Amino acid sequence: MNPFVKFMASPAGRITRIVAGLVLIALGLLVVHGAGGIVLIVVGLLPLVAGLFDFCVFAPLFSAPLSGKKIRAG
Amino acid sequence: MTKDEFNEKLRNSSLPVVVDFWAPWCGPCRAIEPALAKLHTEYVERVDLWKINVDEEAELLRELHLYGIPTLIAYHSGQEVGRRTGAASTRQLSLLFDSALSGIPPAQAGATAADRILRMGVGLALAGLGFLGGIGWTRHLLIGVSVLVLFTAIYDRCPIYRTVSTRLKDYLRRKPAGLSRE
Repeated sequence: MNPFVKFMASPAGRITRIVAGLVLIALGLLVVHGAGGIVLIVVGLLPLVAGLFDFCVFAPLFSAPLSGKKIRAG
Repeated sequence: MTKDEFNEKLRNSSLPVVVDFWAPWCGPCRAIEPALAKLHTEYVERVDLWKINVDEEAELLRELHLYGIPTLIAYHSGQEVGRRTGAASTRQLSLLFDSALSGIPPAQAGATAADRILRMGVGLALAGLGFLGGIGWTRHLLIGVSVLVLFTAIYDRCPIYRTVSTRLKDYLRRKPAGLSRE
């Protein structure tokens, strides 16, 4: 299993994605205005939702399952 | 009853089954009886509850590798999907009935405590961002997402969701069988 995918599926990786998502959304709302801000909000929602619901969108690129539970199970 | 006879009985059952392995002398077995009776009524015509006295079925007990009672095993389409040994609350027992109905092991049936806390925290953070920094439609989007995220932290404890979702799953599962009979 790819170490990057393994980290992303771990509790630390999930929290990293959630925090990164929230930061992007906050940047989109509070710092970047206009179309750039909207793009940041939408892009931020993706890692946030993926971390929250325990799936890794990049895992299939490394021939790993989408579900975090399955990645952790090996 | 041997394991083969038991498996044959399971295969012939038209409904998912929860099997309660009990004994008349077992205190915890008596303690969970009211909860089981309640769940049996709640899941009537959706999940069958079989009671097996282990004193009369010692051979089956060995073959199923049961090491304590009360033990409850959930079966979906004749396959074991979950088991639990020892006294448990109505909520914990209901997870086994849900597993029998859905075919998903109980460990995956509900979010863990850490997941619930995480979802509540994120839901509140999103709501805060929406109220404080949201302008126009982004405020509505973030508040909407935050409500959804907050709901996912408690969805399986919401009686309305449980009633609607089990009935919907039941309806979707029965519909093809009903159509094939016509």
